[in-house]
Amino acid sequence: MSAQATSGAVSIRDALYETPGPKTRVKIRIGTAVSAVAVAMLLAFVVHQFWATGQLDPRYWMFFTQMSTWSYLFAGLRGTLAVALTAGAIALVLGLALMLGRTSGIRPLAALCRVVTDFFRGVPSLLLIYFFFLVVPQYGIKMSSFWMITLPVALAASGVLAEVFRAGVNAVPRGQTEAALALGMRPFRVKLKIVLPQAIRYVIPSLISQLVVVVKDTTVAYVVSYPDMLQNARVLITNYDALVSTYLVVAVIYILLNYAINQLSVYVARRSGTRVVSRYSTNPA
Amino acid sequence: MGLSELLATYGRNYWEALLSTWGMTALCFALVMLVAIAVTVMRVSPFKPLRVLGDGYVQVFRNIPGVSLLIIIVYALPSLNLVLPYRTCVILTVILVASAFGSENFMSGINTIGVGQIEAARSLGLSFGKMLRRIVIPQALRTTVLPMTNLLIAVLLTTSLGSQVPLDPPELTGVVSYINTRSTGGILAFGIAAAGYALTAVAIAFVGNRIDKKVRIVR
Amino acid sequence: MSEQTPIIELRHVDKHFGELHVLKDVSLSVGKGEVVVVIGPSGSGKSTLCRAINRLETIDSGEIIIEGQPLPEEGRELAAMRAELGMVFQSFNLFAHMSILQNVTIGPTEVLGLPKAEAEERAMELLERVGVASQAHKVPAQLSGGQQQRVAIARSLAMRPKAMLFDEPTSALDPEMINEVLDVMVDLARRGMTMIVVTHEMNFARRVADRVVFMADGAIVEEGAPDEFFDHPTTQRARDFLDSIKGH
Repeated sequence: MSAQATSGAVSIRDALYETPGPKTRVKIRIGTAVSAVAVAMLLAFVVHQFWATGQLDPRYWMFFTQMSTWSYLFAGLRGTLAVALTAGAIALVLGLALMLGRTSGIRPLAALCRVVTDFFRGVPSLLLIYFFFLVVPQYGIKMSSFWMITLPVALAASGVLAEVFRAGVNAVPRGQTEAALALGMRPFRVKLKIVLPQAIRYVIPSLISQLVVVVKDTTVAYVVSYPDMLQNARVLITNYDALVSTYLVVAVIYILLNYAINQLSVYVARRSGTRVVSRYSTNPA
Repeated sequence: MGLSELLATYGRNYWEALLSTWGMTALCFALVMLVAIAVTVMRVSPFKPLRVLGDGYVQVFRNIPGVSLLIIIVYALPSLNLVLPYRTCVILTVILVASAFGSENFMSGINTIGVGQIEAARSLGLSFGKMLRRIVIPQALRTTVLPMTNLLIAVLLTTSLGSQVPLDPPELTGVVSYINTRSTGGILAFGIAAAGYALTAVAIAFVGNRIDKKVRIVR
Repeated sequence: MSEQTPIIELRHVDKHFGELHVLKDVSLSVGKGEVVVVIGPSGSGKSTLCRAINRLETIDSGEIIIEGQPLPEEGRELAAMRAELGMVFQSFNLFAHMSILQNVTIGPTEVLGLPKAEAEERAMELLERVGVASQAHKVPAQLSGGQQQRVAIARSLAMRPKAMLFDEPTSALDPEMINEVLDVMVDLARRGMTMIVVTHEMNFARRVADRVVFMADGAIVEEGAPDEFFDHPTTQRARDFLDSIKGH
């Protein structure tokens, strides 16, 4: 059945089209040529716009050949990663706790955890940041700028992670729990020793991909004046008066970083044969 | 400041901010759907340059932080002779980011259909257009209800980027910082805005789930 | 058209999947009302052969001729030709978002331009004939595999095809459901339908086939009347194959 195996491996977007006949081949060739010209014109327009406004001038780009520029940007990236990883770690613990509470079977606790989860999933991280930046100090609590950005990012992520963990627990076959209960294990131990380890393995790719959301959330660190990469980019801009080039380069770094994280999660998912549960694919209610 | 005092002084601001957030969310989501459809059509077209452009679009905008993109649109585009009003900048940012995710949702919706049904449609003698209209698109739409519901909530939350530029009236996150720079609103000033978001999100999720239950395809 | 014109004819068909030579100089002719059963080990190319006849697989060289006309390569002509050839798949491939009734009416309404009422009448008749009329308003996932496959057959029959192609129609079914599908196919054969059936069901082949075609490694190794083939296979390959399945 090599025929089936081969056609089964074709991605659906190719399966939409059958192997073209001679007339269709000509049409596709014409369409490809026309669209290539259109895409090239679009790119040319963008480059032209850069050129016409003088943004291709070497003085906007040459300072990227200096080591000091990069070491300064990477110092900012270190700040970004410090916030992202700390927030990620806190969110991991908090998300797990929220999920355990929600599935504990203890009514009031489950309800509370559900409300907290829905709250953090339904509130923008920016609003949480303003809470720690503007509201918390009103109660006489002093916080470093690091925690003022890390805590809200962690809270926002914990809501999503709670749902990711729950999806993982739901994915563990019921037979596993039943078998363990039949052995005489207590329900709590079953959850801890049998269900959770499998659920966590199942959601590892999703957890990795959630790091992208966390990294994105850290970019508002300038609100609390924490020196992350975007904040350091602003300093570069004032030094070199090169706004467009600097913001573009920084954006590209973020895109590459997040792309790499996404690829990692896809790679891990493929290796372990699981699926990535994202913020957009978890059931909202 | 108590709740009644807060609402007496700033009730109008909150209400306008909530309407501003809702309005931007609705407008953005409608445009997100249009752009996502266009990008998806490019990505499934038989023309390689359009596929590459569409795939590239999605990779760039699903990975760029919203703030970073907003800053480029607000501060960098004017240097390239493109000056947009602040509200338009925010809306454009939300659309670019969310449409990348929207297109991903459509793609995975198409992916759930399976080669077999497409071959069956072809074997019946259905033309390419009829196959798309009767088999592919209806199923793709019905399986994307839940992901799109989540995307709508994400759009709602992403409009909070509006707090980073001067908007009149401000949206729901911006109004919190506006109020807190005038008086010490405390946890309540924050709580009212948070409730506005969270309740809206819960309502969207509720409706989305209802629609999904109705149209879900049993497999 | 003379009586002798075959409905389906393959002349020297060759096909490769990359390095793999999946169809080797295959020639086959199927006359009106004839039932040809294609058997052979996995990977012998029998599925590819079946799928090539309505161009779900393209061929590298050779000719496929339907009622004296070469198989069109694209467009309206190809669609029209496919509408005249019914195809039943191993995995049923019913349209998941449509009711059973809609699955059977979509071909006639969309392709043949039949009015809805007429298409539904035709569909109900066919569903009755294959024994799933009572399920007409359910969706495919609510039916058993055997029922789904019978609906798939009805869906093809609704197009009033000149011939039917069956690509391992019972291979994905639980054992207790195989017969309900085979019964429908036997009935079809009795009514004079021209059929090409790729299958592992040897009893079906013996009972119904006018001719058995044995394929191995992409080539037709042996063909003949069922009794002759099963009782006195002439090639070693065929003997080995028949021995290997007798064990089960």
